[in-house]
Amino acid sequence: MTAFEPKIVAFLCNWCSYAGADLAGVSRIQYAPNIRIIRVPCSGRINPFYIIKALQNGVDGVLVSGCHPGDCHYLSGNFFARRRFALVKRFLEYVGIEPERVQFSWVSAAEGPRFAQIIERVTSDIKRLGPLAYFRKDGAGTEKVK
Amino acid sequence: MHKKVLVIGGGIAGVQASLDLADSGVEVYLVERAPSIGGRMAQLDKTFPTNDCAMCILSPKLVEAGSHPYINIITNAGVEAVQGEAPHFRASIIKQPRYVDEEKCTGCGICMAKCPVKIPDDYNKGLTKTKCIRIPFPQAVPAVAIIDKEHCIFHQRGKCRICEKFCEAKAIDYDQKQEIIDLEVGSIILAAGVGEFNAALKDEYGYKTFPNVVTSIEFERLLSASGPTRGHILRPSDGKEPQRIAFIQCVGSRDLQAGNEHEHCSAICCMQAAKDAIILGEHLRDVQTSVFGMDIRAYGKNFDNFVERAEQEHGTRFIRSRISSVEIDPAQDNLTIQYAGNGRVERESFDMLVLSVGLQSTPGLKGLAAKMSLRLNDGGFIRTTTFSPVGTSRPGIFVCGTMSGPKDIPESVIEASAAASSARAMLNEFPAKEICIEYPAQKPVNDGDRPRIGVFVCNCGINIGATVKVKEVVDHAAGLPYVSHSEELLFACSQDSQKLIDEKIHEFDLNRIIVAACTPRTHEPLFQNTLVKAGLNPYLFEFVNIREQCSWVHQQVPEAATGKAKELVAMAVRKAAYLEPLSNTRSGVNKNSLVIGAGLAGMTAALDLAAQGYHVDLVEKEADLGGNLRHIACTLEGEEVTPFLMSLIDQVERDPNITVHTRSSVAEIRGFVGNFRTKIETRKNGRNETASIEHGVVIVATGAQEYAPTEYLYGQDERVMTQRELEKYLTQNNLPDGAQARVRSVVMIQCVGSRSDENPYCSRVCCSTAIKNALRLKQFDPKIDIFVLNRDVRSYGLKESYYRKAREAGVIFIHYDKDAEPVVTRSDQGLSVLVKEEIIGRTLRLSPDLLILSSGIVPLAENRTLSQMLKVPLGTDGFFLEAHVKLRPVDFATDGVFVCGLAHYPKDISETIAQAKAAAARAVTVLSKDEIEAEGKVAMVSETRCNGCGLCVEVCAYKAIELDPKKNVAVIVEALCKGCGTCAASCRPCAISLKGWRDEQILAALSAV
Amino acid sequence: MNSMQDELIKTVAKLLKDHTVDLFIGYEQGTLPLQTSPCFLTAEEDAKRLVWNSLCANNLAVYLPRLMPDRSNARYKRIGVLCKGCDSRSVAGLIKEKQVARDRVFVLGIACPGIVDKKKIAGLMKGTEIDGVEETADEIIVNTRDSSRCFKKKELLYECCADCTHPSPLLHDAFIGKENAAPRAPQADARVREFSSKERAGRWKVFEAELSRCIRCYACRNACPNCYCRECFAEETKPAWIGVTDDLSDIMFYHMGRILHQAGRCVDCGACVRACPMDIDLRLFTRVLVDEVQERFGYEPGLSLEESAPLATYRAEDKQEFMTEPE
Repeated sequence: MTAFEPKIVAFLCNWCSYAGADLAGVSRIQYAPNIRIIRVPCSGRINPFYIIKALQNGVDGVLVSGCHPGDCHYLSGNFFARRRFALVKRFLEYVGIEPERVQFSWVSAAEGPRFAQIIERVTSDIKRLGPLAYFRKDGAGTEKVK
Repeated sequence: MHKKVLVIGGGIAGVQASLDLADSGVEVYLVERAPSIGGRMAQLDKTFPTNDCAMCILSPKLVEAGSHPYINIITNAGVEAVQGEAPHFRASIIKQPRYVDEEKCTGCGICMAKCPVKIPDDYNKGLTKTKCIRIPFPQAVPAVAIIDKEHCIFHQRGKCRICEKFCEAKAIDYDQKQEIIDLEVGSIILAAGVGEFNAALKDEYGYKTFPNVVTSIEFERLLSASGPTRGHILRPSDGKEPQRIAFIQCVGSRDLQAGNEHEHCSAICCMQAAKDAIILGEHLRDVQTSVFGMDIRAYGKNFDNFVERAEQEHGTRFIRSRISSVEIDPAQDNLTIQYAGNGRVERESFDMLVLSVGLQSTPGLKGLAAKMSLRLNDGGFIRTTTFSPVGTSRPGIFVCGTMSGPKDIPESVIEASAAASSARAMLNEFPAKEICIEYPAQKPVNDGDRPRIGVFVCNCGINIGATVKVKEVVDHAAGLPYVSHSEELLFACSQDSQKLIDEKIHEFDLNRIIVAACTPRTHEPLFQNTLVKAGLNPYLFEFVNIREQCSWVHQQVPEAATGKAKELVAMAVRKAAYLEPLSNTRSGVNKNSLVIGAGLAGMTAALDLAAQGYHVDLVEKEADLGGNLRHIACTLEGEEVTPFLMSLIDQVERDPNITVHTRSSVAEIRGFVGNFRTKIETRKNGRNETASIEHGVVIVATGAQEYAPTEYLYGQDERVMTQRELEKYLTQNNLPDGAQARVRSVVMIQCVGSRSDENPYCSRVCCSTAIKNALRLKQFDPKIDIFVLNRDVRSYGLKESYYRKAREAGVIFIHYDKDAEPVVTRSDQGLSVLVKEEIIGRTLRLSPDLLILSSGIVPLAENRTLSQMLKVPLGTDGFFLEAHVKLRPVDFATDGVFVCGLAHYPKDISETIAQAKAAAARAVTVLSKDEIEAEGKVAMVSETRCNGCGLCVEVCAYKAIELDPKKNVAVIVEALCKGCGTCAASCRPCAISLKGWRDEQILAALSAV
Repeated sequence: MNSMQDELIKTVAKLLKDHTVDLFIGYEQGTLPLQTSPCFLTAEEDAKRLVWNSLCANNLAVYLPRLMPDRSNARYKRIGVLCKGCDSRSVAGLIKEKQVARDRVFVLGIACPGIVDKKKIAGLMKGTEIDGVEETADEIIVNTRDSSRCFKKKELLYECCADCTHPSPLLHDAFIGKENAAPRAPQADARVREFSSKERAGRWKVFEAELSRCIRCYACRNACPNCYCRECFAEETKPAWIGVTDDLSDIMFYHMGRILHQAGRCVDCGACVRACPMDIDLRLFTRVLVDEVQERFGYEPGLSLEESAPLATYRAEDKQEFMTEPE
């Protein structure tokens, strides 16, 4: 049996976190290859539905990352995003989705190492949880209710 | 010839000046002595007082300058000579060889990985090693390698050639020679910056002798996430986390012992220390930070709050002292410092010392000044005057940033824009540069046309190919839906690849292009341009990052990396099917401008705009022009203000491009950048008349007012007056009471109405005003005793020498604490002032004949109405809040609206002039265009879905959304939309979509994961 | 109770007579004994149809956006609506979200003692046919053909009513009964408590089990005053967030989406719970964000017209303890 290799989607804002991911690359910092990055202009662009949709599609984990508070290229997009994230995270956890499956972080354009550390952390969290076995639309491993 | 300017120095000031000029139709030659632009700011970790990440905010500007069609960057080069007169200068530039062909180098970095020679890395202040062939830092612009000839084995010993062997782009050129470039330009801007004090010269601090003593710039690199220790602060001696760190201020500043050119205050070090203390406190929880300095010079916007944060949240101690010696404990490499405080000598031990090294002139600066025949000031900086803060002694040559004296980033940026305004005004006889490139007509791509996707996968030499099996990715892509063609490229960014992509677009009738290569952040414009040349809309392009975010970070797992690359391409393919052509909406620009307020700032801005050929409506609420400047007679430096003001007013009134509206105010402003409609109300014969004007920009220059004291018997005793009132008497050469013989003693109290609970900010100018008036009083009668009771003496920058002059003239400066404000009483004997003196720890009783209150500057109450009308914010202090405190100091987040002068924050005359000119320069970047092109990727509203709930209006930082009151739906003002998508993500019925980042597109990419 | 009903009838009659309002929305007796129905009155003489009792459950605010589809061109110049505490919070929310113009609505507030859950009565009566009900201040008397039974109202309240902090409407133009603006101590819903005390997998199991009964009839949405969207995300095709299927994950997405759309807006009126024909206990899942919004942002929806909605504003110092930090 091969080890579980999770699929993780990361939504990164163009100006800080995406640039931080680039810097990790330029610095050749190695991290787990499970992450699939989707670039967005701003963390404020993230509709919480993207996160739910990702899980429904069968992704094992979702990371959203933006500029640190105060660094937002669009002045306040990340502040609005932070409020939305707080609520969506609380809600998903409440109805029974493991909190580690949906994570949020701040990574600046100068934080290549931090980006890699966050990816490592999220990847290891999700490896520990195992595959998402419920809610997936494809039904794979769904805990069926009788 | 067209409008051309030479900018010398590619730090933040030079880059800002270049961008302002380029954005207003001027061709710029930006000459930088280093191999990359970026300057000192590129080395900073965070910036005060917001702790913004320096690189995050700088890097987009560098990329913008690097790809601007009007900016020619010449790196590794210096100015050799400048001949001629404005506006016909001839400059010769010497460009040193890089030994790498800039046209061919793709910045892939293989050479750097393979080069066997390690050398100290200047970017990290020598704290780490880099390679002899290197790209100076990851965000360098241009991202081109350079060989250090001194250390290159091939250059020195004739063998090696390893970089040449590995360079797939064939860019290495060991035979490259020095080049001389001759330029004809209309004006020149100097922005080459300064140096920092060599701390080793103050051997009492033990720099370079004791391992745990570092300079503030080195410390900045240590703090930085991209620095040598990746942001972990470790002691150089033993690699342990320090617990006690001391900052020693004024190393090489305010110190005549260090030399005649070290009298100035370096203006930034107090805040830098506060910033470092806060960042340290965030990194290391238990760290104790102590700052040893003479005064805390927190004179800028939100600076005092910032210092307070360091004290209260991170326990930083600010200790008023001068360090007499540093000793080392050899066992632990700890450092004991000895200082005078509380009237006795104290000793304290620290794990690490940071020397806040001052800014200073350099031989390079002086050499440049000599070559260009420019005068220097006493500090060895380029000489400017109060009334011409960016002018040099040679007409047509301007200066900005630290070259003319120490200053922080926003002031450098302000001066950069100001210099751009002055330089552009020299160029009126030349036409703007027109770039006319004929592009083929765009092939129509309609909704419903079958997508025909072309996928190009780059090897980037071996950067991608060595890890990711590119051939497999290409084959995989070929099998994906709608992919009509897929192909492997050695370097996707090379010229021949552009030609190839163009050919394939036609051969396979492609209507969507995907390039899988490096990062879109640097290379997207290049490929979009290729699409345009091939007749495709540039938004039918999708970039896949398989280098920075794949091959480089998964080098040990090539299979997984290949799998990931395939999936990333598949995601892009799914998304690409949903791409649609976008057009950048354009709107016309009204060339008129509105300047609100006709004090120094408003008049200066109006004159600069008029000088560049733009009409100005200048609105002033009073009957007379001049504002607060009417109450100032002379400057600290001794220049007479009144003749200057009279000539300014005269120029404004005579200028045919300026329409002055006195006794007037703005009643209503509608519209947006390029298209404002405003009603101006004028009081005439007791009636209000309304005039309507149209304009393209607004400059807010409404000023501020003097704080009206309620404390210290002001208004109750005629011997108590403000500095402004004193100044009036001094100008009339007369002291109150008409009896100068009776005035024997004068007390001045600083920070009246400033740094208080009510107005918690520093009014910035009062220390200089007190020094100025004290010196004038002493001139009037040297026998008068003068006591200046202060909380800190904030004679920042070059003002410091007047502080010394005042002390030399016998003015006594007494420090008091916020918690122990002076107590003023009066009796039959006269006024009495009690003040607790800190150093001797005693309460002094002073009996002045005059008590002068240095009352601060407070914002106007009417700011609120104007801010609502213009939809621009006020800060908590009541002053107008700029778009970004560091890099957009005169802009608002709302395009086309600018701020300058006291309306923004207290500032002195030269700073006000610089900011007013800067506002004009920023306004000209709008006015010089015939049309404003909106972003292509802007928000769009579906009227059938929109509920009109207004949530989007509230979350939009740019005020780019309005509600249509009739239809009750949201309307996007495309000219203002910046495309962040916060509105779209907030909209419950998904009535707003963000073009280029639509939900369907993102969901499509997601579905391929 | 009856005196309040009399006062209500008198007040509404006057409102209609004076043309203060040209439509009034209240309750009338339904066709079944335990039922009240919304009624829409335009004539003074109709006011006598109005009832007020512990069974007046519907949130009448739901009708306002539909009756004012276009504020500048509405059929009615001003609409009066009878509002309990929760209903008035809904109206305030609708005003804030510009679905209802403040000057076009007349809020007739009424002191709410809490609404009795008729399903609970039916449950206690174990299928015995009910002829009618009467009530006193604290009790409800259920008459059947043979006998009558008396229940304590307190024990029959809807969970959201027991848990209500502002039963007395804050926003109103006139008021029936005794006004009491002071917040009341809520009584937490035991079922919510039980749900949240379960471990993670147990919660998901309940979530799944409850929602697996959903037939996607959208009754919850139609009963909710906040669900006024012209097009609901659940039925959109561009983007197609979810399929129009009975797939459980799609059903769950719908409910998650709807609840997230209510964040900072839900006034916990219980309309969705009452409307569900499958008896899904939606409050188990909706209440959490009401509490979270209050704890995190200090915000309770519908209490003020001025305060910005929590997702329409931010504070630089908002808590961010949930953000991931490197290990």
